[in-house]
Amino acid sequence: MKAILFAVVALLAVCAPAFATQCHVNPVNIPKEWVTMHRSCRDSMRHQIQEEVAASLQYLAMGAHFSKDTVNRPGFAKLFFDAASEEREHAMKLIEYLLMRGELTSDVTSLITIRPPERNNWANGVEALEHAVKMESSVTKSIRAVISACESAKDFNDYHLVDYLAGEFLDEQYKGQRDLAGKASTLKKMLERHPALGEFIFDKKLLGIDV
Amino acid sequence: MKVIASVALCLLACVGALAADQCYQDVSLDCGQASNTLALPRCNAIYGEYGRHGNVAKELQAYANLHLERSYEYLLSAAYFNNYQMNRAGFSKLFKKLSDDAWEKTIDLIKHVTMRGDVMNFAQRSIQKPVEKKNYTVELHELESLAKALDTQKELAERAFYIHREATRNSEHLHDPEVAQYLEEEFVEDQGKRIRDLAGHTSDLKQFITNNGQDLSLALYLFDEYLQKVV
Repeated sequence: MKAILFAVVALLAVCAPAFATQCHVNPVNIPKEWVTMHRSCRDSMRHQIQEEVAASLQYLAMGAHFSKDTVNRPGFAKLFFDAASEEREHAMKLIEYLLMRGELTSDVTSLITIRPPERNNWANGVEALEHAVKMESSVTKSIRAVISACESAKDFNDYHLVDYLAGEFLDEQYKGQRDLAGKASTLKKMLERHPALGEFIFDKKLLGIDV
Repeated sequence: MKVIASVALCLLACVGALAADQCYQDVSLDCGQASNTLALPRCNAIYGEYGRHGNVAKELQAYANLHLERSYEYLLSAAYFNNYQMNRAGFSKLFKKLSDDAWEKTIDLIKHVTMRGDVMNFAQRSIQKPVEKKNYTVELHELESLAKALDTQKELAERAFYIHREATRNSEHLHDPEVAQYLEEEFVEDQGKRIRDLAGHTSDLKQFITNNGQDLSLALYLFDEYLQKVV
C-alpha cells in the first residue's frame, strides 16, 4: 500500500512541471542601457548600507544601557533610540537610491546581516557620547570612501550619486557630529566638579525638562 | 550537608519572595557606615519572580531580537518589490509597514526589558526553539512573499502566546500579570488583525490564480494597485 502511494507521489513529482500552476508572471526583458552604476560603486554602496545598519544596532544597545534601572538616564536613552531609528532611515535612503538607479534586482537578501552590537556598557554619559562621536566619524569616513569609489570608477564618474552623498549624507553627518561633540563638551566640563548632578541635569535637558 | 544547603536555599527563596523592606534595609545598613559610597544592591526595579524563575525574562529579550531581525528582513522585501523589474509599489508598501511596525516593537520590547530591571542581551535567542534561523529569502514572487509574511507573522504571534503562557501558567513559581498584560495590549490584538489581513490577501490571490491563471498578469497589477490604497 505504502509502495503504491510512494509510486504515485513520485510520479506526480516527475509530472508536476508539465502541468504546474503558474503563480507568477514571467519576467520580461527591457533595455538596460539606463542602468549605469559601476560595480565598485555599487559594492561600496552595499557596504555602506550594512554600515548604517550596524550603527543602528549599536545605538539600540546604547539606548538599552541608559534605560537600565541602575543607570536611569531616560534622556540619553531617548537620544540613542532616536539615533538608531535615524541610522535605519539612512540605510533606507541608500536602498531607495539604488532602486532608483535600476539596482537591487537580485542579491537583495545578502544586503543586510544582523549581528549583535559589539559594545553593551558605558561608564557614563560622556563615554557614550564620545563613543557616538567616534562612530559617526567612522560612518563619515566610509561615506567618503563610497564617494571616492563612485567618482573614480573607470570611465564613469557617477556625478549624481556623488552629489547626493556629498549634499545630503555628508551634510547630515557633519551637522550630527558637531551636535554630539558639543553635547560631549558641555557635559564633560560639568563632570569635573559635579559628576552626578551634572549628568542628571544634562539628562533631563535631553528629555526637554528644565530642572 | 545537602539538607543544610537546601534549607538555606529555601530560606533564601522565602526572603526573595517577600520583597518587603529590602531596599530600606540596605539603606539603613549602608548609611550607618563610614563609607563614601552606597551600594544598595537591593534597590532595583526587580520584583515578583521576574528573571528568578522560568524563561520569561530571557524570552522577552529573544522576542525583541526576533522583531529586530524580522524588521530588517521585511525592509529588504519592501526594497525588492520596489526594483524596476518587480515594480509592485503596493507589495513594497505592505512590507515597509511590517518592517516599521517590527522596528517600533523592537525598541518598545527593549524598553520593557529594562523597565523590569533586566539587562538587554542582543545575542539572546529563544529557549523554546534554539537557533531557528529560518532562511528568509527576499527574491520571491507576489504570492510566495505573502506566504512568507503570513508564516513569519504567525510565528511572532505564537511566540507571544508562548511567553504569555510561561508568564501565567507554565511555571509553578512564576506568575507575572504585568508581562501578560503587556503582551495582550501591545501585541496580541494587532497580530490577530494583521494575520487575518494577510490570510485574506492570499485568499484573493489564490482565486485569481486558480481561474486558470488567465487574468494573472492583470490581476497582480490590480491587486498591487489595491494594496497601495489599503495598506
